Amino acid sequence: MPDIGVISSTIVAGVLLGGILALTALGLSIVLGVMRLVNLAHGDFLVVGAYAGLFFLQFTGIDPLLGVPVVAVFVGVLALPVYRLLLAPLADRGAEARMMTMFAVSIILENAFVLAFSADTRSIARDYATVALSLGPVTFPLIYLIGFVISVSLILTVHWLVSATAFGRDLRASAVDAEAAATLGVDVKRVQMLTFSLGAACAGVGGTLIGAAFQFGPSSGGAYLLNRLAVVVLGGLGSVIGTLAGGIALGALQSIGGLTLGDGYRDLVGMALFLLVLAFRPDGFLARGRT
Amino acid sequence: MSEAVASCPRSGYAPARGLVEVAALVGALAALWFAPDFAGDYWLQLGFRTCVYLALAQGWNLMAGSAGLVSLGTSCFVGLGAYVAFGVLNHLGTPLPLVLLICAITGGALAALVSPALFRLRGLYFTVGTLALAELLRLLMVNVSAFGGATGIFLQEDPPALPVLFRYALVVAFVASLAITLCARTRASVIFRAVRDDEDAAAQMGVRPYRVKLGAFVLASALAAMAGGIQAVKLGVIEPYGMFGLQWSIDVLSMVIIGGVGLRLGPLVGALLVVALGEALADYPEAHIAIAGVILIVLIRFAPHGVVGLAAKLPLTRRVPA
Repeated sequence: MPDIGVISSTIVAGVLLGGILALTALGLSIVLGVMRLVNLAHGDFLVVGAYAGLFFLQFTGIDPLLGVPVVAVFVGVLALPVYRLLLAPLADRGAEARMMTMFAVSIILENAFVLAFSADTRSIARDYATVALSLGPVTFPLIYLIGFVISVSLILTVHWLVSATAFGRDLRASAVDAEAAATLGVDVKRVQMLTFSLGAACAGVGGTLIGAAFQFGPSSGGAYLLNRLAVVVLGGLGSVIGTLAGGIALGALQSIGGLTLGDGYRDLVGMALFLLVLAFRPDGFLARGRT
Repeated sequence: MSEAVASCPRSGYAPARGLVEVAALVGALAALWFAPDFAGDYWLQLGFRTCVYLALAQGWNLMAGSAGLVSLGTSCFVGLGAYVAFGVLNHLGTPLPLVLLICAITGGALAALVSPALFRLRGLYFTVGTLALAELLRLLMVNVSAFGGATGIFLQEDPPALPVLFRYALVVAFVASLAITLCARTRASVIFRAVRDDEDAAAQMGVRPYRVKLGAFVLASALAAMAGGIQAVKLGVIEPYGMFGLQWSIDVLSMVIIGGVGLRLGPLVGALLVVALGEALADYPEAHIAIAGVILIVLIRFAPHGVVGLAAKLPLTRRVPA
């Protein structure tokens, strides 16, 4: 039995990591809520963010955590043509057509990463990535704390955006009933485009954080996607605060699972939880309304 | 799939034409049975791959085109079939035809077991659930050492020669095509389409959507497990990353979308085109997947009913049943 320090450190690390997990899942969640689209390229958007952070550091020498706004804008703008050229023309077709299109985008991106950046795994190397922070018996990596703070602030900003602004009102209306919203004068296409872009921007920031905390490779996207889907399902589809809660819960549970069963079981715990929640609480364990 | 395929060419409940189709299938089986006497190893390899793909695509097409279930979990059942086949062969030494039957039963049983969770939510959530299921099984194989862990397991006996393997794959593809023909040319087809087009309306008319979807999912999964079993025997060694790889699910989906979702000839045309494309791009492995992705996007956008759907629109072929 590991001692209390190890256990509490693991749980704290899991919760902090869960915050980052929530940010990286946020785009998936709001796109699902507003567009009814499971963005199968979301994991690759995260990888785009990680590469963007890496090259931002290499070319400017500025710390990528200071440069996250640039990365966010960059990835968000990249998502606009994806929506305009690939998704918008399929608006009146079934949801599957758009999902398959994003799936194709995903495999093209993964292939493009290998061609452009080679198959090497990389990470955004910073001094603070390896610093450990101690609070009494609890020890955790500093980068987790930084990532958690950035993630939670961004998620709360998005929550404010969705719940308290005119854009948020249009967004919520489009999510509940796109046709009714359009009848009442909401430009649903514009809302969807901005939502898609906002989701991608969040993925960009989340990807940079992942790149700073862990290693990533051109084909990391698939594994990211599944884990984030678990967060979205746990938190309730399309709910911003639910995604935060789902991320923290999954982060903590995965850490506990890894500690008790062995490290290889971390992801297994996530997937098992995912299917269980899907089976028994399909609206998420918080069972709240949509954004 | 409702909007995507609701307007596709219909082929109705026509038992007489069903007999013709069964006769055509038996004829094709008989003719191809003797292919190893004429064709070289290269063609047999391609034939084997086409047969395995065809079996997978037939099942996927039944799910997506007829029951509205878009699965990304084909790899889950391919992998399961592979592991079951090796387990049975290595520990019991059962003859191969029986092994493939056991694979099919296990695949169908797993599908039935997980269906309460996967059917809980409609449409996209089924897709997401199947993706997660495949990942769960793969992680299980990686982590549990009894299943060989990440290094996988070897087949203890020597795999049969290529001509024999080809004939097995041919029979698997035949069984798959026959099963789908039976589904499509009997009253079942009407029920399938009713559920696909409007689940609630079908339920009002006394159809039980749950059973219909379950039937399609179990049948497709059994076929995929059987295809996985024969594929594993050919490989002689399996490991979780390959057998549970997303590539299986991608290939199947591409085949059916390229061929034409919900169309009878879709899987066959799709399987042939995907194998041919793979050969054509074999010299450019690094861009292979990206090119497949571009083709997928273009077809989804401009040919919602795939190559077969396009062909059916040409004036000369208008009467070809699709």
